[in-house]
Amino acid sequence: MDHNKLLNLGAELGRRLMASGAEIYRVEESVERLLSSYGAEAQVFAIPNCLIVSINTPQGQPLTRMCRIPAHGTDIELLERCNDLCRRLCRETPDVEQAQELVNRLDGDVRQLSPRVLTLGYVMTAAFFSLFFGGGWRDCLCAALCGLAVGACLLFGDWFTGSNLFFRTVICSAVAAGMAYGLVLAGIGQNLEAVTIGTLMVLVPGMALTNAMREIMAGDIFSGLNRTAEVILVATAIALGSAIPMVLARGL
Amino acid sequence: MGHVMTAYLLPCLWACLACVGFGLVFNIQGIGVVICGLGAGLGWMVYLVTMDMLGQDILSAFLAAMAIGAYSEVMARLRRCPVTGYLQVALLPLVPGAGIYHAMQYCVAGETQLFLASLLHTFGFAAALSVGAMLITSILRALLPRLHWGGR
Repeated sequence: MDHNKLLNLGAELGRRLMASGAEIYRVEESVERLLSSYGAEAQVFAIPNCLIVSINTPQGQPLTRMCRIPAHGTDIELLERCNDLCRRLCRETPDVEQAQELVNRLDGDVRQLSPRVLTLGYVMTAAFFSLFFGGGWRDCLCAALCGLAVGACLLFGDWFTGSNLFFRTVICSAVAAGMAYGLVLAGIGQNLEAVTIGTLMVLVPGMALTNAMREIMAGDIFSGLNRTAEVILVATAIALGSAIPMVLARGL
Repeated sequence: MGHVMTAYLLPCLWACLACVGFGLVFNIQGIGVVICGLGAGLGWMVYLVTMDMLGQDILSAFLAAMAIGAYSEVMARLRRCPVTGYLQVALLPLVPGAGIYHAMQYCVAGETQLFLASLLHTFGFAAALSVGAMLITSILRALLPRLHWGGR
């Protein structure tokens, strides 16, 4: 068996798992199981933006591959597909080439929702969270509009929000809070707090927060701290962004 | 009956629908979105009921997170897929978005004492959530190490 190809197989699957937003222990465990089911003794180390896989060939030659993981969101469908494939490969252990083919095919195979459905997701989240936080029907409508704006900024606004997580969040939350303020001022919404919080829930790093705590509990302290820092950064960005319209309104 | 409806059922319904929206954002396909939504509704119901009985929000958040954790683990094992998505989306209504917002408001208004108090309370709440959800996962991982039929 070609250990170079085997190493590539493990690293590629791990890279996709990482990019789907899987927890560190899941990535490490999956790659390790995959490689050990092919008879290689693997060392796997992952932190949020780096994955290192290392194996020894039977001749004793060490092979290592490192992947840098770019900034990524969460894609549960990709995560489930990678997990399924990993189990299947562990169970059936097909040829390494064939397995690599299956892993490569994941990229095109994973179903993605259309931007329209994603926008609907943002609108629904904002609208129902504003009802959840005690808003009325008119507040729900306002929050839906704000959610639409934030969703549009996140999905199509790359050219002016930039790729920086912090500034993107600042801009989006400023848009959300500003629109909420404007709509309430215009008399359409009544409960400013419900509209604003409902819309900001779209941006709140809830996923990252629970992920961070899960990493720490699972013993990956370094990754947990890394993600905690991300949470604090995003929360600060939300606070800053939503303060901008308030400060402006006070100044006017 | 009307009281039960507005105080308990409607908030749970809103939480459920909001999390269905969130499920779409995280690219959860098919029936998975509905499972997330139901988990969120269940979690909020547990929170409201325990809040009435105990009157302590951090403890209630802990119990609600445990309920969501158990529900998500069961669903993940039934559907044989990772627990991550269900757990994290279902926890979102409990994530203290309002706490962060209020802390920020106090901060801008210059009310340092109130700002620190609400910030620390938010941290406590978030920690209770994570520990509650993680506790179930850890217990199951400790108890069922040899069962490979579940969602790891």
